[in-house]
Amino acid sequence: MIGFILRRLLQLLPVLLLASTGIWAMIYAVPGTPIGTIVGENATPEQIQATIVRLGLDQPMAVQYWSWLRHALVGDFGLSIQNREPVLDLIVHRIPATIQLGVSATVVGLMLGVPVAVISALRPGSRVDRWLSGWSALALGVPTFWLGILLILLFAVYLRWLPSASAYVSIWESPWQALRNVLLPAVTLGVYVSGIFARFLRASLLGELRADYVRTARSKGLPERDVVGRHVMRNALLPFVTIVGLMMATFIGGTVVTEAVFTYPGLGRLLIQAIHTRDYPLIQGCILFILVVFVLINLAVDVLYAYIDPRIDFS
Amino acid sequence: MTPMLRRSADVFRRLARRKGAMLGLLFLAMLIVMTSLARWILPFDALTPDFTATLQGPNRVHWFGTDELGRDILARVVYGARTSLITAGGAVAIAAVVGVPIGLVAGFFGGWRDTLLMRLVDVLLSLPGILFAMTLIAVLGRSQTAALVAVGITGIPSFARITRAQVLSLRKCDFVTAVEALGGSAAYNMFSTVLPNSWSPILVQVVILSSVAILIEASLAFLGVGIPPPTPSWGEMLRTGKTFLYDAPTYAVLPGVVLTLTILSLDTIGRALAGVLADRHENVNTGDPAAGGRS
Repeated sequence: MIGFILRRLLQLLPVLLLASTGIWAMIYAVPGTPIGTIVGENATPEQIQATIVRLGLDQPMAVQYWSWLRHALVGDFGLSIQNREPVLDLIVHRIPATIQLGVSATVVGLMLGVPVAVISALRPGSRVDRWLSGWSALALGVPTFWLGILLILLFAVYLRWLPSASAYVSIWESPWQALRNVLLPAVTLGVYVSGIFARFLRASLLGELRADYVRTARSKGLPERDVVGRHVMRNALLPFVTIVGLMMATFIGGTVVTEAVFTYPGLGRLLIQAIHTRDYPLIQGCILFILVVFVLINLAVDVLYAYIDPRIDFS
Repeated sequence: MTPMLRRSADVFRRLARRKGAMLGLLFLAMLIVMTSLARWILPFDALTPDFTATLQGPNRVHWFGTDELGRDILARVVYGARTSLITAGGAVAIAAVVGVPIGLVAGFFGGWRDTLLMRLVDVLLSLPGILFAMTLIAVLGRSQTAALVAVGITGIPSFARITRAQVLSLRKCDFVTAVEALGGSAAYNMFSTVLPNSWSPILVQVVILSSVAILIEASLAFLGVGIPPPTPSWGEMLRTGKTFLYDAPTYAVLPGVVLTLTILSLDTIGRALAGVLADRHENVNTGDPAAGGRS
């Protein structure tokens, strides 16, 4: 087991190294140097030269890369150009908001997606199945930002039940306010992800329902409720765990669009603001952070999957 | 070419029997005709402002209303279709032209070439597509080309993986071994024997990825990092429309309807196509367990 995890970690190293090189190199691909952004427009040549030396930009590229990588490894991404705060602090500050949204969205997605999958898998090809498949297609096809706008129009502009811009309120401090603020973004993302959940779980359930053990269970007279509830569900949920985990991983960095719709102060919004203000250390820090978390959650999902399915051997 | 034509005709006939796919094709055809003939059939163009008629709701003159500069929203939606379709088409072309050969070489040769190429693909997959595209645009700056390339690169992994899977299943076939035994070069074998037998899954992927490309392009524009204004773009319209929800609610609703219908049409056609090809017992691996049969 430990060997399996270590081997997977080793396999990740080249991927992470390549990706981080790409992220570091992007600053060199920017038209015009970022120096202009750092020192301001009215800097004298001497000031520019001083900044170049201070930041080590006169060193050979390999030296610069090594120094950047060494700092990045311990979480030091430098200072944000915009507000002179350490990039890591800015990122860490946004994590709770992003996690709260990601988890709420996953809960909504499961509440919508699992019943849809179960009902349609039990009656494949029926009218209900076709309607529910249509729902999944719709959930996946409707752009999240447009769905968000529609929800804001209905619940904030017309009904005035919920705020149109969502602030981050911790669920532990003020559950009611937190719920009011996170509800619309969570439903927006949740509807989308419910489409993915429904499709995968339905396919997974259908696959299991065709298995021999189901025929055996039925032929020995087990009630259908037990066949599905106790046998089929358990086996079908295995691959499904992977999908749920993958979606959670995506949500860590992938809620950019939803956060933009609701002006929700998560990690995605930090990144998009950094891009708009061309705050390169912040962009690099955000991307690298999201990348590492994304890759590690993927790994965790793999390990968990291998752990709960005894048929998978670790070698 | 006759067998190829006969096959296409048969695929199309089977596709025509599926109502959803037909509706999707009809909608896309309408959109393409309208955006090609826009200059002659629309009374307004997409760029001329009219400050006497800003933020109007739908009315007899402006069917979809007007935006904050008094531009006709219907005209902007129709011209925006051009932006969307061109970006999506170009992006999918880039993705296919780069991704298919990667999958072809990786699957055909195996070994270190396979490991190297697929690791590179893994790097592309190590970030969600939209983040990758955003990062690239942060570097390249906002432009039509940047949007096209950024969206295109996010599509490379799916083409590479699907082609590779297809090649792996063909690699052991007798007709491929036969070409090898007769002394056909690897390049000849890949491009003249294996590739022509891999078109079905690639075609399905082209259609499905077009819908994804349109969605990513619109998302980028919505985030303000897509194609720069004043070029009309659906995502950009929704972005601006969102700031006028109280004054002109339809502004942020109507472009979204067209965007959603376009995405749904392409997705439905892609899935129907996968179903049709599966019915014809062609080996279609779309990478999505729910995409194939309808059972």
